[in-house]
Amino acid sequence: MKRVLRIVRSPWLRGAVTAAGAPAAATLLASSFHGGDASAVSIYILAVVAATAVGGLWAGLAAAVFSFLGLNFFFTPPEHTFRVSKPEDLIALIVFLVVAVIVGSLLSRALEGRNRAARREREARLLNYFASKLLSGEPLQRMLDDFANALLEPFSLARCEIHVRADDVTLDGSAERAGAAEGVSVPVPLLVGKAELGTLVAVRRAGLEAPQDDDRALLDACAKQVALAVERTRLDKQVEGARLEAETNQLRAAMFSSVTHDLRTPLVSIKAGVTTLLDEGVTLHADQRRELLRTILEETDRLNRLVGNILDLARVRAGALVPAKQPTAIDEVIESVLHRMKPALSRVRVRTAVRPDLPEVPVDPVQIDQVLSNLLENAARFTPPGGEILLSAAPWQRSVRVRVADQGPADERDRVFEPFFRRDAGEARTGSGLGLAIARAVVLAHGGRIWIEGSPSGGTAVVFELPVADAQPVRQEPSG
Amino acid sequence: MTTILVVDDEPQIRRALRTSLEAHGYTVQTAGTGEEAVVAAAEASPDLMFLDLGLPDLDGTEVIKRVRSFSEVPVIVLSVRDRQADKVAALDAGADDYVAKPFGMEEVLARMRAQLRRAQPEETGPAVLRFGDLQVDLARRLVTLAGTPVHLTKTEYALLEAFVTNAGKLLTHQWLLRKVWGRGYGEESQYLRVYVRALRRKLGDRAAAPELILTEPGVGYRWIAERSEPPN
Repeated sequence: MKRVLRIVRSPWLRGAVTAAGAPAAATLLASSFHGGDASAVSIYILAVVAATAVGGLWAGLAAAVFSFLGLNFFFTPPEHTFRVSKPEDLIALIVFLVVAVIVGSLLSRALEGRNRAARREREARLLNYFASKLLSGEPLQRMLDDFANALLEPFSLARCEIHVRADDVTLDGSAERAGAAEGVSVPVPLLVGKAELGTLVAVRRAGLEAPQDDDRALLDACAKQVALAVERTRLDKQVEGARLEAETNQLRAAMFSSVTHDLRTPLVSIKAGVTTLLDEGVTLHADQRRELLRTILEETDRLNRLVGNILDLARVRAGALVPAKQPTAIDEVIESVLHRMKPALSRVRVRTAVRPDLPEVPVDPVQIDQVLSNLLENAARFTPPGGEILLSAAPWQRSVRVRVADQGPADERDRVFEPFFRRDAGEARTGSGLGLAIARAVVLAHGGRIWIEGSPSGGTAVVFELPVADAQPVRQEPSG
Repeated sequence: MTTILVVDDEPQIRRALRTSLEAHGYTVQTAGTGEEAVVAAAEASPDLMFLDLGLPDLDGTEVIKRVRSFSEVPVIVLSVRDRQADKVAALDAGADDYVAKPFGMEEVLARMRAQLRRAQPEETGPAVLRFGDLQVDLARRLVTLAGTPVHLTKTEYALLEAFVTNAGKLLTHQWLLRKVWGRGYGEESQYLRVYVRALRRKLGDRAAAPELILTEPGVGYRWIAERSEPPN
């Protein structure tokens, strides 16, 4: 039976075959029994039931009519004619027809109800699956593939493709049943409101028509869910973009206030010093004059370093921090930085431990100079007067490792590379917190790494490594 | 009377340099553009020229090339930190030294004096140069440190001689390599590093706190010790 059903796929053909076949089979069966009218009636009823079950209401009704005729022709005297000799036989025949029609229609309604329930359940399950996917937050690509896959079985598809062509999302998902021959292809637009976000293409298996009525409605509903998933992803993206922008604005505001403050601080000292020196009503001791002048000089240098950092920050943000690399001896850069920063480092002791066998590294000497200046300035800020900073450099595997250790606290190690973050050092709270962020950006642009260590003596060390072989820059977000 | 030409498009910087240089007894000419600078270099025949690289009309290197076509006047470039490439290009084009902006006047004056010394060489330079404890006898090729002879290899001595006879000047890697190793050299800056290190060790100069040789990373070296007057 099943094999027959599989061959006879068209419902019309199936209905016609069962409507004619079931009464014919019943006729043969009843004739072979020679059991008489009563058994023939029950067998014909059975035929009507079978025809209804297989072919539906119209097949059942047709089978009832055929059965009525068969009963009349073969089993009602005079046999082999459509004439009926006895009135009670006529009544029996009419009763049979009425009963058969009632049975057929009742049965077909019951069966239809069951089918509808099954389909409703299937629809519900499918839509539920889509809805849960929609909320899962999975990447859209994976969702599309899963959606396509989920549609294969319920719609008897050989292949299912989902093409998303929204203005900001272009993606394709697909699934196919291995080895299935392809038949008719049904495109369904992915609509949200009036906007078309793409197309779902359902390719049915060979020999099947395009889905009709309920099936088509279900397919449309599924396409709607896919469209919603696409829309949600787009909205998520927009929200993320807005959030980033808000954060950037916040950071910009922080930078603005931080930089303004830090630019002004040295200017305050400089202006105060100069106006004191210009004031003819004040008698200054030679030592006092020198002290004022030295402050002015130091603050000028600080301002200069700060401006250098702001420029570098602008380059990082513009993605333009490209090192002009040349073979450079790090010990020479260290030497030059220490020489230049002598005034700024006058309050602390700087001890150096530079290995004589340092290989040259391909770096931008000016940028590495800035890194070292920033690290030393930072270290000096957290070192008490007379305290010590240890600057060491040594070859390490395929790189040169430089370490600047101070005697400051080692807390909040990760955050110090963020722009505008400062370790709270009470009175020594100066500097924009830009220095380490710039140092990090520069080291990464050179393909190196930089990190913070606690030092055994209780201080903090910033360590960076620069590769000896020319390295790819480490990708970095334009931070700050 | 020594005439200095100051070329910068910022009036404040021209004023600061003019005030300071005149206070030191120099005659000062100024120019605000590259074209003016070339004209002034030709007409005023300055003894030295300070040249800002960021001029509104001409590229700094272009100014140097034009000036070099008719004059050997020492040129000291004024450049900001983040334009290292311009600075190196200017040196290649014929500039003699550079001062990073913002500069201290003592630095400017020291560079200037070093260049003016070269421009007006003493007819017969003293045969013995003294830098604190260090004494270099150029005629006899003898080096002593606090009276003790220092043994230098031939190359080390040639390097030292190049340094002390060009005290205060920026000596680029290329210049030093050609001077000491000969033509055909110019890219081998690692040779220089090795010999400079050896020289420092023998002369008791520390890289961390140099008193004799200062490194200009990526550019060259400079002999920073001041000549002491011979004890007469």
